[in-house]
Amino acid sequence: MVDQQPELLQGTLDLLILKALALTPLHGLGIARRIEQVTRGTFCVKAGSLFPALHRMEEEGWLSSYWGESENNRRAKYYELTEAGRRQLETEKEKWGRISLAIARALEAS
Amino acid sequence: MRNLLRRKAVERDLDAEVNGYTELLEEENVAQGMKPGDARRAARVELGGPEQVKEEVRGVHAGVWFETFWRDVRFGTRTLRKAHAFSAFAIAVLALGIGASTAIFSVADVVLIRPLPYRDPSRLVMVWEDASFVGFPHNTPAPGNFSDWRAQNRSFEDVAAIRDATYNITGEGDPEQLDAIKATANLFPLLGMPPELGRVFGADEDRAGGPRVVVLSHGLWVRRFASDPTLIGRDIELNDAKYTVIGVMPAGFSFPDNDAELWMPAQFTSEQLAEHDSHYLRVVARLKPGISVAKANADLSAIALRLAQQYPDSNTSVGAYCVPLQKDAAGTFRTAVLILLCSVGLLLLISCANIANLLLARAAGRHRELAVRLALGAGRFRLTRQLLTESVLLSLAGGALGMLLAVWRRALLARMIPANFTYGGGLDFRVLGFAAGISVATGVLFGTLPALRISRLDLSVALKESGGRGEVGSGNRTRQFLVVSEVALAFLLMLGATLMMSSFLNLRAIDPGFRADHVLTMRTNLPQPKYKDLSRRIAFFDAVLERVKPLPGVVSAGYVSYLPLTMRGGADGFTVEGQPPRRPGEVNDANSRAITPDFFRTLRVPLLAGRMIDTRDTSTSLLVAVINQAMADAFWPGENSLGKRFKLDGYNHNVPWITIVGITGNMRQMGLDVPARAEMYFPYTQAQYFSLRDLAIRTAGDPMRPAEEVRRQIWAVDPAQPVTRVRPLDALLDEELGPHRLQAEMLGIFAGMALLLASLGIYAVLAFTVSERTQEIGVRRALGAQKGDVLRLVLGTGLKLVLVGLAAGMLAAFVLAPWLESSLYGVRGKDPASMISVAAFLLAVAVLACWIPGRRAAAADPMVALRHE
Repeated sequence: MVDQQPELLQGTLDLLILKALALTPLHGLGIARRIEQVTRGTFCVKAGSLFPALHRMEEEGWLSSYWGESENNRRAKYYELTEAGRRQLETEKEKWGRISLAIARALEAS
Repeated sequence: MRNLLRRKAVERDLDAEVNGYTELLEEENVAQGMKPGDARRAARVELGGPEQVKEEVRGVHAGVWFETFWRDVRFGTRTLRKAHAFSAFAIAVLALGIGASTAIFSVADVVLIRPLPYRDPSRLVMVWEDASFVGFPHNTPAPGNFSDWRAQNRSFEDVAAIRDATYNITGEGDPEQLDAIKATANLFPLLGMPPELGRVFGADEDRAGGPRVVVLSHGLWVRRFASDPTLIGRDIELNDAKYTVIGVMPAGFSFPDNDAELWMPAQFTSEQLAEHDSHYLRVVARLKPGISVAKANADLSAIALRLAQQYPDSNTSVGAYCVPLQKDAAGTFRTAVLILLCSVGLLLLISCANIANLLLARAAGRHRELAVRLALGAGRFRLTRQLLTESVLLSLAGGALGMLLAVWRRALLARMIPANFTYGGGLDFRVLGFAAGISVATGVLFGTLPALRISRLDLSVALKESGGRGEVGSGNRTRQFLVVSEVALAFLLMLGATLMMSSFLNLRAIDPGFRADHVLTMRTNLPQPKYKDLSRRIAFFDAVLERVKPLPGVVSAGYVSYLPLTMRGGADGFTVEGQPPRRPGEVNDANSRAITPDFFRTLRVPLLAGRMIDTRDTSTSLLVAVINQAMADAFWPGENSLGKRFKLDGYNHNVPWITIVGITGNMRQMGLDVPARAEMYFPYTQAQYFSLRDLAIRTAGDPMRPAEEVRRQIWAVDPAQPVTRVRPLDALLDEELGPHRLQAEMLGIFAGMALLLASLGIYAVLAFTVSERTQEIGVRRALGAQKGDVLRLVLGTGLKLVLVGLAAGMLAAFVLAPWLESSLYGVRGKDPASMISVAAFLLAVAVLACWIPGRRAAAADPMVALRHE
């Protein structure tokens, strides 16, 4: 499970959250479930990691939140990407690409 | 407050969010087939504990807050360092303002705020007699009254009494005179301070004929006995008798003031405790829990009325009241320090207005920088916060510098504190806390307005080349308001300083009734058992005077019971021959003193009628007295009092009639600003119950020059007699005037600083106005205006502001004047002459401040001005 690697998780978690919200706004549980879904169960994000990340990213200005209604008409807090958030998503995607390329090269070298 | 409300809202929001999440989880579980109870439990487990989640989020917010705060601080420091001229000036102004505030606060702290070194000191009160009908509203109580108050009161846990005494300590080391306190045994338990070593005396030792025991002050124990721990139980020699040391008080303890170094049991006899006529005690009491001073006063008044009926001869019209100990100890100093606090507060406000103005002016040059910041996404709130951080950084730097200034000047500050308090140098945490707090408050005060105004820049306007003058123009009104308030506050301060200075000069001009120049004084307090006999005393004084008078440099010498202004009392009642006996409650009262024949001559007090006391007045001749003019006028109005007779009341029951042989001029006894009281002087040879204490010597040159030789002559008569308070009589007058002078000086310094700041403010605003209206001025010149017209225009703008400020200041002065009245002497708070002269001076300085920018505007080339944007 992902909780065993907190440092790696923060950078990764940010990226996953940004990606999850790229298409539509979601509430907290929705974000967790979407991440679970797109990573085919590799990453199961607990509330203890998700909430701090969401709030931090909102402080940074990448997300904004509003209160809305869930599928079953319950009040829930929704998060969506801001302009800055979209830019951050691109930045993170690019950074991630460079890192994985570099690691792949490192592993191939003899 | 707003932050608190925000935080509550944020908490509620977080709570709702976490709950919502849990509910959604629950829903999911139910949809997957779990039973509701299990669903809820599973949801909770998956959540992992709502409190923990909330804690994590709170931590995130705190972390973000700190990060931005730190970023703001770093950015602010960099900005301020770049604008070093402005920052240096602002820090200097703030250092003066905050430093002065902290300095005065440290003084106020010692006298008004810091709790006295006793248990629960706010419950302690001093109890006084109210004998206003003879001019003693704050009278030392008689033992009889003390006993009755103690027995009959319902407001106090306990009541204790003390009396003063002096002892000569001999034995190892030089003979020294010590001030002692004789106290009833309940004093120490009442104060609630345990001794550091040994014990205090108990009720069994406080009886007539009880043992000779003494408790030492910490200072005495260190100074004279080198902190010897084995001193307890040993004997020391006081007034040639052996006293056993039973205890030592801790350092920092003093009662009633720093002078007392010995405490002994009072050992009153039952007769003394029933005496209602001799007034010499000081009484301290502890209020019962829940009893207020007002209630205690009502209780005491009722008891006083009862005593007046019970003892009509001594207690008619005599009231009783109590005052909280701290207030009593602070005395008139309390008002003085409050005045200084307010003055320094005004100065600080002026500093704030000045710096706010400067910040607004600087903003004009920062438009581009701020606009860029706004465009890059910094919210208005964040921008305001950043600017405010800059301001607080400035004021903290100023505050730190100011603290250093205050500590540097602590010797001066120590002079302001009355003798019963000790000034530690002002470095305790309360003063530091005050300095820090006031620095932050000042920063917020002068920073908020500019920060708010600046952050409201219109983005599009700001980015244009022309710099958005329109926006800044409306800022000019704020700056004008600030200048007007600076002028008003400066006026108040300058008026206050002028009034205080006038007060001081008036006091100094008072004729005290004697000539204090070229007079050397010293005190020889003769100890009791040794000099109990009148003939022994006479022998001592005769011998000393005989030796001192022929010394080189000595013009004349005389002894007196108490030098003027050193004893605010020492009065006795008397009966006038031929006048009907006084009814109870009406008392003939006059200060009583003993003198040697040359005393009045030494102090150059004129003899107005009759003759002076001289060698023909011996212990066996006719009893005579010399009285002062005030006594003659009061008790023999319209008559010639020479040859008239009177008789002393009270304990001198069997004394025959005393004949008045001379009338002298009045000396101020009770205070420089208090008219002379009736006073009678007896020959030292006939004064069985009065001793002489103070020696006065008129010298040909420097009064201190013969001092050593005089002391040697005194010791030639009695080598064990301590000689104290060797100083010129001038010093006594200086002491009286000292506090007034110091206050006037301090206020003068503050007023000077205020004037400087206000003029700088006027100058700055006008310079700015001129630069703003350069184009307009260019147009006017092109249309034919002369240099003089331009100058008049600028001056007019400036003076309008100053006049409004003066008007506001005068209005405030009228409102505040009554509050200052009690501290003034010889001048009213609303003194028109002072107001007008201060206003005129301020106006003159303001004109000068307007002149410079005015001249510059007038001298500018019109063509350049027209092209200016």
